[in-house]
Amino acid sequence: MAASYLQSVSYCSRAALRPLPLLASSVCRRHLDRYPSGNTTKLNICSAAALSFRPPASTAPRMASIRCFSALTPALKTTLDKVVGSNKVVVFIKGTKDFPQCGFSNTVVQILKSLNVPFETINVLENELLRQGLKEYSNWPTFPQVYLDGEFFGGCDIIVDAYKSGELQEILEKALCS
Amino acid sequence: MATRTLCSRANRIQTQLQTALQATVLEVEDVSYQHAGHAAVRAMEGGVANETHFNVKIVSPKFEGLNLVRRHRMVYELLSGELQSGLHALSITAKTPAEAANCAT
Repeated sequence: MAASYLQSVSYCSRAALRPLPLLASSVCRRHLDRYPSGNTTKLNICSAAALSFRPPASTAPRMASIRCFSALTPALKTTLDKVVGSNKVVVFIKGTKDFPQCGFSNTVVQILKSLNVPFETINVLENELLRQGLKEYSNWPTFPQVYLDGEFFGGCDIIVDAYKSGELQEILEKALCS
Repeated sequence: MATRTLCSRANRIQTQLQTALQATVLEVEDVSYQHAGHAAVRAMEGGVANETHFNVKIVSPKFEGLNLVRRHRMVYELLSGELQSGLHALSITAKTPAEAANCAT
């Protein structure tokens, strides 16, 4: 469920990077075709995500640098709120659960696997806007980023410390039983 | 060579953290060579791991009363300039003097 929300952001974020707003709109319509019309949530996210990257009007150059804009659009924030709330343990990593592409991400994945807890991973390497938006959302500049029960818990160092002290196991037990 | 050493990222990190945190212990270690195969490093110009990954160990009274997340955020904020100019990852150990003394005994 969590990954499907982010697929919709991913699709329109690629569209939003193109210089022609009209093209972004037509890509959104194509996106609507791929998902049932009843799923207005995905349409709203896509439109909002794409529209938020329209360049400023008139005097600004057509190819506005996206670095001028915050990556954390309201639509992305809403999506991330849903993602971190949709599972008890959510980890934003580089790579996937089966193929982490960073030593720190791999450490967190292996710790959680060893504790036999169900957890969702989101690959930030797939979407640069998601990656930058998450840094603002979490107020944390690096990955991995671990959310437990909807709250930001920390990165790799904090997970390792908590695992060694037993605090992580206690928190997971409390979260999964609630 | 001496000029390059004075301007190195490790020295800048050391200076920034020491000034702000009044650390009693501050160790900054460049471990970029351990991450030479990292995708982000390969994507860099030249593909050479250069001042991208650091271990920092800090003992500072400024961490009193702060949980680990807040301590790490404090360090990240102090080094935000470095993070925006090529510093890719930091492994942080942040303790208060009392915690460090407990670990030592």
